[in-house]
Amino acid sequence: MATRTVTAELVRRSLTRRRVGAVDTVVASLLLVALLASLAVLVTLLVDVVAKSVPVFAERGFDVVTARLSPRPEATGLIQGVFGSVVLSLFVIVAAFPLGVAAAVYLEEYARDTRLTRFLVSNVRNLAGVPSIVYGLLGLGLFVKLILEQLLGQDSGRTLVAGGLTLTVLVLPIMVITSQEALRAVPLELREASYGVGATRWETLRHHVLPTAAPAILTGAVLTIARAFGESAPLLLAGAVLSNFFAPAEGASLLSLVTSEKYTALPIVIFNWSRQPQEEFVALTAAGIVVLLVVLLAVNGAAIVTRDRFERRR
Amino acid sequence: MSQIASTAELRPVPPVGVSDELSSEHPVVFEVRDLDVFYGDFQAVRGIDLDIRQHEITALIGPSGCGKSTVIRCLNRMNDLIETARVEGTVTYHGVDLYGPDVDPVEVRRRIGMVFQKPNPFPKSIYENVAFGPRIAGLTADLDDIVEESLRKAALWDEVKDKLDEPALALSGGQQQRLCIARAIATSPDVVLMDEPASALDPIATLRIEELMIELKEDYTIIVVTHNMQQAARVSDRTAFFSVEVGEGGRRTGRLVEFDLTERIFTSPSEKETEDYITGRFG
Amino acid sequence: MNDRRTHFHRELAALEADLVGVAGRAEGMIAEAIRAVVEDAPDVADAVIASDAEIDRIYLDIHDRWLELMARQQPMGSDLRLMSAILVLNATLERMGDQCVNISKMATVVHGLPRSEQILEELQEMADLVRPMVRRAVAAFIRRDVAAALTLPEMDEPVDRLNRQMYQRVVACGPRKEQLEWATRMMMVARALERIGDQAVDVAEQVVFLATGEFREFGDTAGSGDRT
Repeated sequence: MATRTVTAELVRRSLTRRRVGAVDTVVASLLLVALLASLAVLVTLLVDVVAKSVPVFAERGFDVVTARLSPRPEATGLIQGVFGSVVLSLFVIVAAFPLGVAAAVYLEEYARDTRLTRFLVSNVRNLAGVPSIVYGLLGLGLFVKLILEQLLGQDSGRTLVAGGLTLTVLVLPIMVITSQEALRAVPLELREASYGVGATRWETLRHHVLPTAAPAILTGAVLTIARAFGESAPLLLAGAVLSNFFAPAEGASLLSLVTSEKYTALPIVIFNWSRQPQEEFVALTAAGIVVLLVVLLAVNGAAIVTRDRFERRR
Repeated sequence: MSQIASTAELRPVPPVGVSDELSSEHPVVFEVRDLDVFYGDFQAVRGIDLDIRQHEITALIGPSGCGKSTVIRCLNRMNDLIETARVEGTVTYHGVDLYGPDVDPVEVRRRIGMVFQKPNPFPKSIYENVAFGPRIAGLTADLDDIVEESLRKAALWDEVKDKLDEPALALSGGQQQRLCIARAIATSPDVVLMDEPASALDPIATLRIEELMIELKEDYTIIVVTHNMQQAARVSDRTAFFSVEVGEGGRRTGRLVEFDLTERIFTSPSEKETEDYITGRFG
Repeated sequence: MNDRRTHFHRELAALEADLVGVAGRAEGMIAEAIRAVVEDAPDVADAVIASDAEIDRIYLDIHDRWLELMARQQPMGSDLRLMSAILVLNATLERMGDQCVNISKMATVVHGLPRSEQILEELQEMADLVRPMVRRAVAAFIRRDVAAALTLPEMDEPVDRLNRQMYQRVVACGPRKEQLEWATRMMMVARALERIGDQAVDVAEQVVFLATGEFREFGDTAGSGDRT
C-alpha cells in the first residue's frame, strides 16, 4: 500500500464528503409525515366528537352527566354508565392487580424452571390473546349463571360483581405478563447484592426487587385499567344492560347496587345511544364519548400520580 | 577461624521456605477438599484442594474460564442461586461442613460477605445500603454506629459522613465499590470474598481498594479473585493458580495447578504451568 | 510454545548477551594485566587501564536498560530471577575490570624494580587458575548449569592458598629494600587475583539461584586469607 502524504487539503476533502446525507433527510421526512398523519387522524376524531357534543352540553350542561337513563333524549343522562365504569375499574384494580402481580412474582421468582412452569407461562401468554368476547361467554356461564344464580341463589346474576369478575379474568393475563417483564428487567446484580449480605428470597423481593420493578408494574397496571375501561363486548354478554332505561330497586344500598342490582357501563350506553334513530341521539352519543374520555383520563391520571409518588418516595 | 567464615555468620542466609512464620501462625478457616462443581452436565471445576488461612489475603489467579469465580462462590453458597449448579466434595468452614443439611445459606452469607466485580450498591441512600444487612439480621439497636464503623473501615466515612441520605448511585465508581465493601462488612462477617473487585475501576481507585484490602486483613480473612497478576502479587499472602483443561468436545474444566506463598509463586513456582503463565510463555 | 511477551523476552535476551560479552572482555583483561606484570610492560598495562573505560560504559548501559525493563515489564518467575542475576553479575564483572586495572597500575608503578621469579611464577599460576574459573562461571550462567556452578568453590581453594602464601614470599624479600618495594606491590596483585576468584564464585552463586530459586551462600569454603 503506497503511503500518501496527508495534506490539509486531502483531509478537508475527505471530511466534507457527504455520502448518506440525502437518504437521511428523506427517511426523516417520511417518518415525520407518518407521525403527523397518525396525529392528524386522532385530532380530527377528537375535534369531530367534541364539536358534535356541543349542542347537548350547551343546552343541558352538566345535567347530561348526572341524569339517569331515559327513553326521552332531552332527559337521558350518563350517571349510571359512569357509576358502572368507575366501579368496574376499581374492581379490576382491587382484584386483578394484586392477583396478577402475585402470579408474576411466583412464576418469576419462586417457581423452578420445570416443564410445568414453562407450560403455565406459555398458557398465560396465550390467554392474553384470546378475544375478549370469549371472556364474556365465560363471565356469563361461570359468574352470572353458575356462581351467582345457582350457588348463591340470587335472582339475577347480571350484576357489577359478575361484570367485574369477568373483566378481571380478561385483564389478568396482561397484568401477569407485564409484571413478569418488569421483574425480569431487575438486574441480577441487584439480587446478588441483596443475597450477598444474607437476605432471604422474600427480603430481597420486598426491599429491592419489587421496589425497583414497581414503576414498570404500575405502568402495566395503568394500561390494564385503560383496557378494562374501554371493554364492551364481554360486558354485554355478562349482563350489562343495553337499553334506554333501567332503574334500581327503591332504597337500594350501595352494596346492593354492586352485588344484586342491574348495571351498565359507559361504552355500552354510548353503543346503545348510537343505535337510536332520533336525531338528538347523535349529539348525545358524542357527549357520551367526551365524558368517557374525561373519566378515562381522570382514572389514568390518578394511577399515574400514584406511580410517580411511589417512584419519588424510593 | 578466618574472617570470611565469621562474615558469613554475620550475613545470615534465609532458610529455605522463607516466611514460615506466616504459615504456622494463622489457623485454617476454609478447608476445601476435592471440590467439583457442575452446571447441569458441564463440569466447571475439578478436584480443588485449598486451605484458606485466617487474616491472610488469598488470591485466585488464572486465565479466563478456569473456574476461579465458581470456586469462590462455593464458599458463600452463592452457587445455590443457580438452579443447575451442583457441588460435590467438601467445603469446611471453621470445621463445619458448609453444605451440611442443617446449614442455612442465608446465615452463611451473613458470616461470609461478598464484593462483586461491578460495584452494585442498592438504589437507595448511602446509609440504607450499609444498614440493610445488619437490619435484616436483627441488629437494629446500634445501626448508626454500625454504619459509621463500617464506612470508616472501608475508608469512606470522611467522604460521605455529611451526605448519608444521598443516593448511593451518585458516588463515583471507586466510592461505590468502597461502599459495597462497607456493606459487606456491616454484618460483621469474618470472611470477605472479593470477585475481581477492582477490575471495573480506574488505576487510582484500584490502588485504594488494594490498600484497603491490606488494612482489612487485620480484622477479616480475605479471598480475592483477580485476573491481574500484578495485583495478586501486590496484595496477597498466598496465591492459587488455576488453569483450564480442555476435554472432549472442547469443554473447559478448571483445575488448581499450584497453591503456595505468593512470593514463591511469583519468584520460583514449582509447576512449569505456573511459570509459563506468569512469564507469559503459555504452552 | 506461545510467548505472549516476545518483545520483553527479546530485550531480556539481548541484555543477557551483552552481559556475557562483558564477561569475555573481563577475562581477556585478566590475561593482559598479568602479562603486563610478568613481562614488565607498562604499555600493556596502559592498554588494560584504557579498556576498562569501555567496561564501565557497558556497565552503565546495561544498568540503564535493566532499570527500564524492571520498571516497565514487571518480570516474574524465572524472568525475575534472571533480572536479579543480571544485576549482580553486571556489578561483579565491573569490579573484575577494576581489579584488572589495579593489577595494571601495580605493574606501572614497579617498572624497573628488581623482581623475584618465584613470586612471578606463583602470580602466573594464580592467573591461570582464575581465568578458567571466570570462564566456567560464565558458561554455567549461559547454560543455567547448577552442577558446573557448584564446582567453583573448590576451584577457588588453590587461589586462596596461593594468596596466603604470598605473605611469606614478600617477607622473604625483606633485606633487599627495592625488591621488598616490588614484592609488597605484588602482594596487592595477588590479592586482586584472589578477589577475582571470589567474584567468579559470586557469579556461580547467582547461577544456582537463577536455576533453582534458592539462594545458597558459598561462603563455607575455607577463608581466603583476607588478613590485611
